[in-house]
Amino acid sequence: MIKSQTIALTALTAIFIACTMGIVSAWSAPFGAPHLASAASTSGLMGWIFAEQAAFYRSLSGFIRAAKEDGAAMWELFGVSFVYGVFHAVGPGHGKAVISSYLVANEETWRRGVVLSFVSAAIQSVVAIIVVAIAAALLGATAKVIGLTVHLVEITSYALVTLIGLRLFYVKGRSFLIACRELTWRRAPELAFASATGAGTLRTQTVQLPGRVFGAMAMRGGRCMIDGCAVHSFHCHDDHHESAWGHAHGPGPAELAGAGGWRRGLSAVIAVGLRPCSGAIIVLIFALAQDLFWTGVGATLIMGLGTAATVAAIAIVAVSARGLANRVARTRAGFGMLAMRAIEAGAATLIVAFGIMLLAGYMASEQLWMFTG
Amino acid sequence: MIERACCCCTILLLLLSINRAEAHPHVWVTFHSEVVYAADGSMTGVRHDWTFDDMFSAYALQGISHAKKGQYTRQELAALAQTNVDSLKEYDYFTYARADGKKLKFADPVDYWLEYKDAALTLHFTLPLKTPVSAKAMKIEVYDPSIFVDFEFAKDTPVSLSGAPQCLATYDLPHQPTPTEQARLSELDAVPLDPSSTYGEIFANKILVKCP
Repeated sequence: MIKSQTIALTALTAIFIACTMGIVSAWSAPFGAPHLASAASTSGLMGWIFAEQAAFYRSLSGFIRAAKEDGAAMWELFGVSFVYGVFHAVGPGHGKAVISSYLVANEETWRRGVVLSFVSAAIQSVVAIIVVAIAAALLGATAKVIGLTVHLVEITSYALVTLIGLRLFYVKGRSFLIACRELTWRRAPELAFASATGAGTLRTQTVQLPGRVFGAMAMRGGRCMIDGCAVHSFHCHDDHHESAWGHAHGPGPAELAGAGGWRRGLSAVIAVGLRPCSGAIIVLIFALAQDLFWTGVGATLIMGLGTAATVAAIAIVAVSARGLANRVARTRAGFGMLAMRAIEAGAATLIVAFGIMLLAGYMASEQLWMFTG
Repeated sequence: MIERACCCCTILLLLLSINRAEAHPHVWVTFHSEVVYAADGSMTGVRHDWTFDDMFSAYALQGISHAKKGQYTRQELAALAQTNVDSLKEYDYFTYARADGKKLKFADPVDYWLEYKDAALTLHFTLPLKTPVSAKAMKIEVYDPSIFVDFEFAKDTPVSLSGAPQCLATYDLPHQPTPTEQARLSELDAVPLDPSSTYGEIFANKILVKCP
């Protein structure tokens, strides 16, 4: 009893510390990465990435100019745009963090992680193109107006990220509390009793499961749905480790892969992707000034492709890390499940933290309006 | 086993929390600064000439009406220059001055205008000190702590002096971090700076004026 509580407390503390560190590191951001004028002096991988992506970005204007005179230079421009996209995304950014946290919290597959990364990057490019096409090309708006538009879209995006995080936190936090209680009752079985009424509300996902598991699922599903965990079923995962902990908290893999699951994932990537990259906006307007708007559109889309490649790679790492934790957790029924629920709740907390910090402006965002109001 | 699980959780969460400033340079400024002295030997302010990179120049010029394609007169750019200096106030004009180690305050800029030449915009403005000061060692730093704007000294004449023949102006490029500083930098995530810390200064472009 005491031991399990200690374990739960340790896990919670670890996650809390990790989250706090995430917030703090973001907060101290301006100094975390040295000034670029000292690009040569920023040592290590991050410094190199900073220097590389800046160099690629700066070379874009030359390639756009060259494309004006020579059509073949356009392909070079697209090549450079792709590489810039790749490097750009390796650098710091909230998009990757939110998407990765989301994938971890929702137990998504790596395949879906890849697709969501590409969708998010595509949305980001398209938003930049739409803003510039309407505001600059059609309406002839000034940089001030465009900056303001981007700012508004940005705030909407951050607010949506926060909302999605809060919803996830609510769902995952509850699962965590359930797992927490279950762990306690496991040690005191005399207190636990079955909630037979629960079986009636069984959801469809258990149909493919073998009969033995079916009973367990029925109790678990029923308990959570009917009594909101106020009445507790007898714990069932002592003899059904895998099914019990893998399916306890919602839709099974089949359902997750269905239309509803995609819709849920899409809402998250739309929230993240809504915010256009200032770099893309500047490149587009520069291209427009050279009467090469469509070349700029092409470059922006290819930049997005490069970004997506990096974000997808990071998403795969996040999903695999979760898978690893998953395997470890499986070997310890009660604690394992608790730890996984804690990871999910922690990931949801991170999304909320990112959203709020971005809204509050603690995380330096790309201030397009720094000079232009 | 518990240790392994805990280790996994921590690694995962640390991975997710790698999230520093979103900002990275999207504006490059090549600058020349003139430190202005009065006849009595006191420093009165700083005169900046900031030349923006071509992409940002095009961005800033978006939607500005002009009579001749590819050309902008000072009058046509007057409103934009006003917007520029107004917006820069929030960022302290990226200019931080100290007289013998004591922080100085700047008043609102005067004599500001924009110039468009060779596809690049140059913002000229003078930052007057709230009260002129005399000091043996004057240090003026130009940098953006958030890294959105990258400042770089102009190649030909990075720094000049006005009205102080007895003084000597030198400049200092952002230096290579020493091992101690490097160590501090690497642990910034774990041991963050006090918000009021001026640690970022060590990566600033420094202008030093020594007077007898």
